[in-house]
Amino acid sequence: MNLPLIDPSVLALDCPDRLTGELRSGHSTCVRFSRRGDLLASGRLDGTVVIFDIETNGVARKLAGHTRHVQSLSWSSDGRHLLSSSHDWKCVLWDLKDGSRLHTVRFEAPIFIAELDPTSHLHFIAAIFEEQPQLIDLTTKIPARSTLPSAPRRLQLDTDAGHEKQAAQDAKQTTTVSIFSTSGNHILAGTNKGWLNIIDRKTCQVVHSYRLTNNIIIFLRLGSSGRDLVVNASDRMIRTLHLPDLDDSTLDVDNIRLEVQHKFQDTISRLAWNYCSFSSTGEYVTASSSQNHELRVWETRDRGSLITILEGPEELSVVEWHPRRPIIAAVGTDSGRVYIWSIVTPQRWSALAPDFVEVEENVEYVEREDEFDIQPIEETHKRRLELEDDDVDVLTYGPLKPEFEEGEFKMPVLLDIDDTDSEDEVVEVGTGQFRRKSPGRGKEWMNDEEVPSGDETRRAVNGGRGHNGAKRRRAE
Amino acid sequence: MESPNGIDRTSPKRRRLSSDSVDLVDQEREPSHPRSISPSVHDSPSCQLVERPSRSYRERDDNTRSPEQEDRSLYYQRERSRSYGSTRSRSPRSPAPEEPQRKLVEPPPPKPTQLYYKPRLVLRGHKRGIAVVKFSPDGTRVASCSADGLLKIWDAHTGKIEHTFEGHLAGISTLAWGPDSRIIASGSDDKSIRLWDTSTGKPHPIPFLGHHNYVYSIAFSPKGNILVSGAYDEAVFTWDVRTGRILKKLPAHSDPVGGVDFVRDGTLIVSCSTDGGIRIWDTSTGQCLRTLIHEDNAPVVSVRFSPNGKYVLAWTLDSCIRLWNYVEGRCVKTYQGHQNQKFSMSGSFGTYGAKGHEYAFIASGSEDGSIVLWDVSSKNVLQRLEAGTEDAPLRGHTDVVLGVDTHPTEPMLVSGSRDGTVRIWKMEEGAEMEKAKAELEIRLTVNLRDEGTLEVDTPADFADTPR
Repeated sequence: MNLPLIDPSVLALDCPDRLTGELRSGHSTCVRFSRRGDLLASGRLDGTVVIFDIETNGVARKLAGHTRHVQSLSWSSDGRHLLSSSHDWKCVLWDLKDGSRLHTVRFEAPIFIAELDPTSHLHFIAAIFEEQPQLIDLTTKIPARSTLPSAPRRLQLDTDAGHEKQAAQDAKQTTTVSIFSTSGNHILAGTNKGWLNIIDRKTCQVVHSYRLTNNIIIFLRLGSSGRDLVVNASDRMIRTLHLPDLDDSTLDVDNIRLEVQHKFQDTISRLAWNYCSFSSTGEYVTASSSQNHELRVWETRDRGSLITILEGPEELSVVEWHPRRPIIAAVGTDSGRVYIWSIVTPQRWSALAPDFVEVEENVEYVEREDEFDIQPIEETHKRRLELEDDDVDVLTYGPLKPEFEEGEFKMPVLLDIDDTDSEDEVVEVGTGQFRRKSPGRGKEWMNDEEVPSGDETRRAVNGGRGHNGAKRRRAE
Repeated sequence: MESPNGIDRTSPKRRRLSSDSVDLVDQEREPSHPRSISPSVHDSPSCQLVERPSRSYRERDDNTRSPEQEDRSLYYQRERSRSYGSTRSRSPRSPAPEEPQRKLVEPPPPKPTQLYYKPRLVLRGHKRGIAVVKFSPDGTRVASCSADGLLKIWDAHTGKIEHTFEGHLAGISTLAWGPDSRIIASGSDDKSIRLWDTSTGKPHPIPFLGHHNYVYSIAFSPKGNILVSGAYDEAVFTWDVRTGRILKKLPAHSDPVGGVDFVRDGTLIVSCSTDGGIRIWDTSTGQCLRTLIHEDNAPVVSVRFSPNGKYVLAWTLDSCIRLWNYVEGRCVKTYQGHQNQKFSMSGSFGTYGAKGHEYAFIASGSEDGSIVLWDVSSKNVLQRLEAGTEDAPLRGHTDVVLGVDTHPTEPMLVSGSRDGTVRIWKMEEGAEMEKAKAELEIRLTVNLRDEGTLEVDTPADFADTPR
């Protein structure tokens, strides 16, 4: 609702220009903005997931459940659920209403990335180390898993020559990254041989494949439009692609022509890119690179030129662009701090008094004819009141979309957040002597390896009640 | 607690000194209670007949609508669009051809020109004047804060006291409900802001310290994560509610800050000061986006955003309440008819009219002990809830009414006064309202007959009579 009051030239700025803050709670390994952009989830080295409130730069919630460092995070579209995957080979679905673990899904191998279905928080896909990706359905009591293929779909011409050899090779391909399309009907997957697969979610079949590179595809991310894809591969190049509308029923999947739009690379120092992200509008791509402290920002609308280099204090890993505003969050690899880049706008001095105007150059003031006329106060009052005959609507909201709606999910504000470990988890016991903060305390949940998911606890409660009822009946 | 029948009417003061109590105001017991008619009604009778009181309220909870009623609501819509437009031509959308005849037989229910709030409960327990009363966002409870340093939570429907929070070292001037209706914040003359949990009845251990002088006004952001406060030390602070730390210090004003408020999506803050200025701030950057100063430069004591966040309503010490379009920086309405020269008082927006055709009203206290309700668009006084007197103390407040709030969903008001009582008012419905209306109409008719201008039934003829 502040938009009508902000200078349009300020609103036009859409690329952050300076480091403006940092968030700290333990050693962060990955971050992700919620869809609304008011919360930032951060996975830590110790397995805790921390939710930062971007508006207050404070910790809003802590979620304990993983025992190893957090690998990826994914928000549901309503902002109520969060999926985290960790190096302890587990994925946890959190309910942020009360901070409970709704489901815990264990895998047989480390997880590269786990992404929630944008249409339902009870479905997700996970790309797993040296295995085929899995589509998990949590609507049933026991999570239903279906395996997705990694082998690319080849056209007839290719298959004729050296069919067997190729099939053997394809069998060795594994998916390194998998994400949902915006509608949730398709899955985009990148393989360790550089193929991009488009998988139909219903049939679990690859409908189209495209070879981007010979190297491993590390990361995929869709832009806000759902049609722009940014790909990070281990050949030190970031590519952007424009996708066709996959939900269009007239689309002939065999004749999709995928084309790389832009290739971003550093030809001189051959930088390897750690992570990349689209801007809120899809207009920019930003990436962090190894062995230097910078974020690079390229534009994608025109020729893909480098727009700016944002200096950071250390090497950066995960980089995330705010879904609505020109804010970038990136994680420092060494310290685990989350750095924030944004725009600092100067105070407009004309806002400080109703008759102030900002002028470019000196203007000679021309006095109005009646400016210094003295008029009887009562008459001016009367005239003023008579002028107030507009219709005033103080109830209907109008076309301006507010940043926050009444009915949307809002995370409860916890007043007893334990923020003590925002610094390292060590305490000074003497001059120059440190020890870890009471090891094991606050980690009682670790003893209980198989924590029941929400369903199971509910079942237990029901069972208990039934039992009591039986007892009572017997007593009668 | 005593039943309403056991109330000793001759010595109400005795009760005030004892523990918290509720008086049920039963109108049958006060037969002499006159219908409150605002002076403006007498001043402009023509206006009253143009917009005749309607039955629209009865339709509110009718699930089974008769066709006739359907028709009426159709008239209603038309009437509304007409009263809004400047021309008198019929709207082209009107589908019913037999409409004009019907209109003569039974006038359609137009926008109501009167509201019929009546005293329902008197809540006693505070030992000194009450600064602010507020309904909880879910409408189940009422919170009141007082110069005696106590914060009390009452049940909004029964008036039963639920909690009394003690902890402030001086009088409390302001309170704010968190959006979850659980947390409540209070700002006090002891310079601190405290949070209280109304579900457990426990105070939050850490007070918000930082202001150098009396805290005058506080408000929660819609998500409940930020609190804004304005104080006598001329500053506006935003606080991180979770940690109790100051987020931003807004260099706001050159005089004490009387009121602050958040817009409904939390992106803007408004603050006002006795220097006569109102400022709009960006919550995230802390920058001033707009300054509103009225030509008369009267001290502004209280300010709040309209329900849709497009306007700002400001109370000034020249007995005016002004509605500002802050984007254009223009005062669009001035509401007069109450007294406000000295005290920092506040009020609220409410709605009236049939479902789907809601109009907005503004409720404010007055220094003569009454409460005034204005229609937002026409600036007409819809009702004046009169002050109480020595012989009828249950009828209304006997001192300055400092705080008024409207119920989020039901036609209810709550008011707090310097006389130390909290009163809950309810809209008359059903037969009672009909009775009230009939009485009012008789009186009006008599008045008009005396002036010799009555006899015509169609509203159009009256609209042209000069006021």
